[in-house]
Amino acid sequence: MASSHDADTEGITRRKALSALGGAGALALAGCTQSSGDGGGDGLSGSINIAGSSTVFPLMSAIAEDFAADHDQVSIDISPTGSGGGFSNYFCVGDTDFNNASRPIQPAEEERCAENGVEYVELIAATDALTIVVNPEADWIDHLTVEELATIWEEDAVETWDEVRDEFPNEEINRFGAADTSGTYDYFIEAILEERGHTSDYQATEQDNSIAQGVSGSEYAIGYFGFAYYYQNPDQLKALGIDAGDGPVEPSLETASSGEYTPLSRPLFTYPSIESLGKEHVAEFARYFVEQTTNEDLVAGDVGYVPATEETQEEQMEILEDAIERAQE
Amino acid sequence: MATDNANAGGFGEVSRLRGVVFEYLSLGASVAGLVALGVLLVYVTIDAFDLANASPEWLLTYFLTLVVPFLAFCLYSANDPTVTRRALGALGGGLVAVAALFTAIEAFVAQIPRLSWQLAYLFVVATPVTAYLAYVGSRGRVGAVGFGLMGRLVGGAALGLAVGTLFLVFDPLVWFLAYTLGVVPAVALYAYGARRSAPRAVAAAIPVGLVGVVVAVVLRGVVTTYPSDLIIYAWTLAVPIAIAGWRVVADRGSRAAAVAAGGVPLAVAVAGGFLAGGFGVPGPTALIVLVTVGVPTAVYVHRAIDEGDGVVGLALPVLLVGGALVGALVVEAWGVPAPDPWLDAGYVTESPSSTAIEAGLYPAIVGSVIIIALVAVLSFVLGVGTSVFLEEYMPESGVLGSLTRLLQVNIANLAAIPSVVYGLLGLGLFANLLGFGLGTAVTASLTLSLLILPITIISAQEAIRSVPDDLRRGSDAMGATRWQTTKNVVLPEAFPGILTGTILALGRAIGETAPLLMIGAATTVFSAPDSLFSRFSAMPMQIYAWANFPQAEFRYGVVAAGVITLLIILIGMNGTAILLRNRAERGN
Repeated sequence: MASSHDADTEGITRRKALSALGGAGALALAGCTQSSGDGGGDGLSGSINIAGSSTVFPLMSAIAEDFAADHDQVSIDISPTGSGGGFSNYFCVGDTDFNNASRPIQPAEEERCAENGVEYVELIAATDALTIVVNPEADWIDHLTVEELATIWEEDAVETWDEVRDEFPNEEINRFGAADTSGTYDYFIEAILEERGHTSDYQATEQDNSIAQGVSGSEYAIGYFGFAYYYQNPDQLKALGIDAGDGPVEPSLETASSGEYTPLSRPLFTYPSIESLGKEHVAEFARYFVEQTTNEDLVAGDVGYVPATEETQEEQMEILEDAIERAQE
Repeated sequence: MATDNANAGGFGEVSRLRGVVFEYLSLGASVAGLVALGVLLVYVTIDAFDLANASPEWLLTYFLTLVVPFLAFCLYSANDPTVTRRALGALGGGLVAVAALFTAIEAFVAQIPRLSWQLAYLFVVATPVTAYLAYVGSRGRVGAVGFGLMGRLVGGAALGLAVGTLFLVFDPLVWFLAYTLGVVPAVALYAYGARRSAPRAVAAAIPVGLVGVVVAVVLRGVVTTYPSDLIIYAWTLAVPIAIAGWRVVADRGSRAAAVAAGGVPLAVAVAGGFLAGGFGVPGPTALIVLVTVGVPTAVYVHRAIDEGDGVVGLALPVLLVGGALVGALVVEAWGVPAPDPWLDAGYVTESPSSTAIEAGLYPAIVGSVIIIALVAVLSFVLGVGTSVFLEEYMPESGVLGSLTRLLQVNIANLAAIPSVVYGLLGLGLFANLLGFGLGTAVTASLTLSLLILPITIISAQEAIRSVPDDLRRGSDAMGATRWQTTKNVVLPEAFPGILTGTILALGRAIGETAPLLMIGAATTVFSAPDSLFSRFSAMPMQIYAWANFPQAEFRYGVVAAGVITLLIILIGMNGTAILLRNRAERGN
């Protein structure tokens, strides 16, 4: 552009340049035009904020990805914050539209949501088999009873493996588990430990990968996490069968869906806020989500959870439609 | 080295041992860190480009068609028999040494995971030799011309893409109005005033520009019909850049060449912009990139031909592109098994996905670029402002002097505060109190600006302090006011130092994750942010999320590709800073 550089000999060219500029501008204005504010696409637009369980994260992001591909005006963002972290920090203060959870919402969280006037509806996303893993080198163990599992993880837990079962080696137990913001932690307490509390003598993390790394690093380590990680890396770790009284059952998509794998098969949830369902693009996404929960390829194949049955899906869809109706009144 | 102590007591002997031990210890310390970093980068590169699956034939093909011609170019430019001998010796000797050593280790010690001796040779010998020869070659005239041209091609493309990215969040329509009503009249007034020596016209330029911008903002709400994006970009960006190119060449005295240097790239860019749609590339982006590449290239080519020295160097891009094409042809023709890199065109243009093959980093790249652009502006303005005030205006003695020292101590302490704390500040202040929203681009850039502010202030202060006082006194003696001295003497002199400090700080900001986690930035988004107030993801956030995916392909390939992308952008930023600094230093 014209600068402070000053040379009189260039006067003519500069004038020419300015007129050329003007000419180009006029031509440009006369040329193709657009009108501002045209939406385009199928009319759905807006943003959807999702936080919550890192267990549900892979499922939710797989579904969101497909939805985003079909609706390019809808921007979706997802953060794995843990079920509890998502409820208390984001969802119940009205910052997110959905919160994923790997256990039902808890009374304290219900209160917090109510205080801020956030209403929600509970949708079942899929079924998970909470998996207990040990090091693949550990050939001295292939299953645990529910009671044995509890002695390992209860608040006043045993120190060495031979205290769990006599034939186990006299070696210290190395524990890797979910952090207390995680729904997996809450569910594990509810299903196995109940009043006995969760030990604090363990490596707590929100990341399955860290648990897997820890367990594969020591022959006497034990850990638990959602089924998806084990499903994708079956050779890296060894999953233990769980004996709830009818003999040991190993975790798999079949045993989880048939209900044999008790008490560790659990439903996964997502909680849309009613207020957000009032927006058409959020409601549409929620419908799409419920439709996809029976998609075998996606839920089981890509992610590693048990898809919902047609029956559950119909129930969920009814609940959702009621909520949407209520929101859009 | 150890000292030889020959004092009055005669020629007593002093042990050299301590000195030698110290020397080797410091050597060890420097090598340990660098080797560790080197190993990390080698493995990340192997993962990102899937080199572990590269067949030896594939490596050999590209070595012969791409690397060898490049080395020959550098050697030709260096034109030094010693260098040539040394390079050939290193390449040949290195080949034997690496192959022998590698085989020996594999045979007797342990398997080296995911590395073959060919790859080891590539990283341990070929890469350093290439870097060395590129350095030596760039000192010859031919090499300097070649690298200069490559720099303009690559840098121009990067600049064009960055500008295109910024227009994703900044409304091009406002920019169009502001440019037409504010910038153009102001520049025209200024040019007229400067030419006719009319100081009033020059003085009016800035107010006219400001009024124009305000009118533009108001009009944006009223006017509903605009030229298409392509025309807006051509008129507001391509035309001025072409005029700038035209002027630079015209200053060198050749009118026909000047018109060609400005006009040809402009024409190519406009044509490219119209045609790009057919290839699935957005037209406006193609237009900007073609102009930012074309004009500097044309200007540079003209200069090289004009000076007539080392014109052969202009063939370097042809050599490289030709080499890559021939390599691809050979690979295709003979069916050489080729690796399938994770870091490819799809990776940087696609959205994240739950399948590793389709996963892309595009929204996170855009998020990072936008944030870093805002952080650069904010921290530069705030940092330079603060440091100029502290260094030039605050007195050094008296009550105010002790206040200065207090401020100084606090700034130094702020630099040591953990980034999570800044995240909390951002969450409380920007996201909640000021209502910029949780996890929005504005909140993130304000938080990160605060985070690096102490570093920018301290480095800018150092730069300003290193301006010799003689210069200030000289300026004072000429009757200059303090403002004139600061503007004309201190800042230009300190500019290279300020720039270096700012860019280093920006490098820290682009890799930060903890503050972003605190302000609730999303880890995964599926579309690029379209305004400053939309939620975004940044590269480190997305990389962190992928690192915890169950599938092994994510944890190795996709994450590695993300790391390499982040590094490339970082190196690009630092490279720009070094270039600007060198230029400013030469200017002084």
